[in-house]
Amino acid sequence: MGYLRRLPRFDYLAPHTVDEACSALAERRGDARLFAGGTDLVLQMKRREITPRAIIGLKGVASMSCIRAQAGGLAIGAMTTFRAIESSPLIREKHDFLCETAAAIGSPEIRAVATIGGNLSGALPCADFPAPLMTLGAIVKLRSVRGERALALEDFFMEFAKTAAAPDEILTEIEIPSRPGFSAGAYLKFHDRHAMDMTTTGVAAFVTWDREKRLIGDARIALSVSGPVPLRVKNAEAALRGQTFTEKALEEAALLACQEAQPRASWRARREFREELINVLTKRALRQAGEKARAAAEKGNA
Amino acid sequence: MKHLSPVSLKVNGELYELSIPPWRTLLEVLREDLSLTGTKRSCQEGQCGACTVLLDGRAIYSCLFLAVEAEGKEILTIEGLARSAGALDPIQKAFVETGAVQCGFCTPGLVLAAKSFLDENPAPSEEEVRRATVGHLCRCTGYFQIFEAVLAAARERAGKSAPA
Repeated sequence: MGYLRRLPRFDYLAPHTVDEACSALAERRGDARLFAGGTDLVLQMKRREITPRAIIGLKGVASMSCIRAQAGGLAIGAMTTFRAIESSPLIREKHDFLCETAAAIGSPEIRAVATIGGNLSGALPCADFPAPLMTLGAIVKLRSVRGERALALEDFFMEFAKTAAAPDEILTEIEIPSRPGFSAGAYLKFHDRHAMDMTTTGVAAFVTWDREKRLIGDARIALSVSGPVPLRVKNAEAALRGQTFTEKALEEAALLACQEAQPRASWRARREFREELINVLTKRALRQAGEKARAAAEKGNA
Repeated sequence: MKHLSPVSLKVNGELYELSIPPWRTLLEVLREDLSLTGTKRSCQEGQCGACTVLLDGRAIYSCLFLAVEAEGKEILTIEGLARSAGALDPIQKAFVETGAVQCGFCTPGLVLAAKSFLDENPAPSEEEVRRATVGHLCRCTGYFQIFEAVLAAARERAGKSAPA
């Protein structure tokens, strides 16, 4: 192994409130890293990819671990674990595909510790949670000693492993707007072992059915591992709006999605293979979400 | 840099007052400070499952968890599973009886993962057992005996808790 297996030295700070965490981050600006579940950060530190002088552990900030219904939708605290998300009746009722996405990450041991905030803040293209959340129009809340601001999740990812959060800002909460009537989502990913491995390519689709016209009312598609950041493919989305739900429409959307994506070649997959996956998974995710949305409309079951 | 923090860890029902640096993992502290070497050190990067322990009843990888962050939690290692010396937990017994233990290196992690899983899902399907154990590598058994052991342990536990 080309890296040491023990952690480098660091100071450890354990705030109990968001305010304390913000002050700690402001004070140690530049040399501290926020530490959520740590399942990714511990590895990066063991490999000496990052060697922060201080770690601000957020596990003791109880208010950041919550799932609640609120006016206009749902709010999920950034320190909420995937285990809590996959077993949340509230999330299952509103967006069951988020529970399924959470349940397919890592292993039970990882999901007991890894958090939604860590998954987003790492800003890695292989993270599974950004794409489905982007199709839902999720908003991230950022806090610092200077105040709070909200940002659309799709504007949060700047480049590989870099977010729009300023060095003194903490991602505290993710807001998901209410689901429109007769809509459904799906997130499908290809991964070699079907467990414990990085996603080769993933596609999230969210379809809203137009009940009166019996057409696709709205469609949103977001991709994982298809560029330096998780991305929406808006040409493909536009091509579906107002279309009949046919294989031809899905085929056209999948081709557009491939054109908008910028997958890279890696040891995990050639570029051509990733394009093929985007094509196939886009169609499958749209079919799954579309059929569910249409069935809900036919049953009159918003 | 502050190097040593006082940390009290509750392991297998016993409270240990320790003074440890924050960069040490729970795995390192269990093995090196508490001599609880039943928790195995293998990949040390959250891939193999050998270092699995229970934290408040839930399986986690101790190689990815800072010892300081385990303060105030109930930690259970394989040493604390059987209630009395010489006795085995039904899960351990099922592992022995179905041939799910060969070299034994993955066994403590798998037994604890099985405990966490069965405590929550006492009557699982084989598919659910497979999904619950995805985070563990075993190089000897080929896994089938392990799935069988977890299912046998579930039946054994159900039999014992069923009303007479």
